[in-house]
Amino acid sequence: MTEAATASEPAPIPGHIPESVVYDFDMFRDPAYLADPHKRVIDLLENAPPVFWTPRNGGHWMLVSHAANFEAARDCEDFSSEVLPYKEMEALLDQLADETGRVPRAYPINLDPPLHGIYRKPLQGVFSPRTINTMQEQIRAMACDLLDAVAGKGGCEFMSAVAEPLPVKVFLRMLGMPEDKYPEYRALVRAHLDAQALPGAEGALQRLQKVAQAMRDTIEERRDERRDDIISMLWGVEIDGRATTQEDLENYGVLLFIAGLDTVMQGIGLGVRHLAENPALQQRLRDDPSLISKATEELLRRYSFTVPPRRVARDMEFQGVQMKAGERAMLFLPGADLDPREFENPTEVNLEREGAHIAFNAGPHRCLGSHLARVELNILYEELLTRLPQFRLDPDKPPSFNCGHVVGVEQLHLVWGD
Amino acid sequence: MKIRIDKAACVGNARCWAVSEELFPLDDDGYIDIEEFEVPAGKEDLARRGARACPERVIQVIED
Repeated sequence: MTEAATASEPAPIPGHIPESVVYDFDMFRDPAYLADPHKRVIDLLENAPPVFWTPRNGGHWMLVSHAANFEAARDCEDFSSEVLPYKEMEALLDQLADETGRVPRAYPINLDPPLHGIYRKPLQGVFSPRTINTMQEQIRAMACDLLDAVAGKGGCEFMSAVAEPLPVKVFLRMLGMPEDKYPEYRALVRAHLDAQALPGAEGALQRLQKVAQAMRDTIEERRDERRDDIISMLWGVEIDGRATTQEDLENYGVLLFIAGLDTVMQGIGLGVRHLAENPALQQRLRDDPSLISKATEELLRRYSFTVPPRRVARDMEFQGVQMKAGERAMLFLPGADLDPREFENPTEVNLEREGAHIAFNAGPHRCLGSHLARVELNILYEELLTRLPQFRLDPDKPPSFNCGHVVGVEQLHLVWGD
Repeated sequence: MKIRIDKAACVGNARCWAVSEELFPLDDDGYIDIEEFEVPAGKEDLARRGARACPERVIQVIED
């Protein structure tokens, strides 16, 4: 907690940054942002510079406009995904391993090209739209089970009842993990979520080690006896021409854990909250379910929720501001997708809207799991609208939110029926 | 009407494919598997929509 308290103090503004591009915004604790995140995003678009420096959390850049995000996301040379340059980071983690045991690497999310591509390549077929589409019925069965368990109750806290369990169940099934790991993974996800909402990386390495630990037995079993699951598939692929190792498999498992669980959960939470507040939209989708896939896209755009960090790799001018090597820059995708310079009437959920959002980021780091996320969201909305009558927010228990690198819903109390 | 795609810049969003699997085929990794094609008669609207759906903006429509 001490770290959190001190980190909120503003840091001195570096001399090369003029006051005109400084705006005070704490991406972890801004009160208006925590009260209703995307309302504050719109406020930032109206009142903050399109690229600004905030002195909070040690000081960093915020890329708010669509143009800034689109350019930076595709420029991996200037905006590095490596927290530290690769060799420095490897040396540091190897040194840590002597004290704490091996630290799993979430490759390729934290690598730049060309290494990024080498580690991403083996995952692409596994997460391609065609492979993911074969899983639809399994995912639907899981969604139906969760929804049926609450349908008769007249209401529920939707995050803990549905939005959180669904991606965890899908994850365990896809990886081929035993079902009895479910409580352990729910607890790991919870710890990850709580940590996400705080700046700083305290305890992050230990959490990654626990995630790897929890899948170690299954990974070893599949090495000798393959099944129809992702762990088995990854034992069969090559990385840059060499066979995968136990360490590679643990790395990939950790990557899929940190990239694929809380994100889907928050996408569901933000979308369902919008539906709960908009009975007319619910009715329109119930009347014509073929519109649901369009709603899925529009809700992703309207409530884009990830804020991937980058490291400025060299001194440069970027969209009118001077940046220096080593500074941190946040790709504020919620801003990009609500930018009125890019989307007409951006706050309106318009099922006829054309043009593409970048909720899954742009450039080579485009979310690997985007096709899975879309399928999960789509199926969840379809079954939700089929299995529950018109639902609304519980007037006595308003939703609460969390912010940070993933913006999401903490609690979402819904009620339905009389 | 012709479609030209900067294939090397495709990052696998597959939104074009979601508009038309026939016009915008994917490879086994889920990335675009075609660089340039004549749009068959009657499919012009579909082709335009596929191009507009690309978040990377790498699909170019060349009208006759």
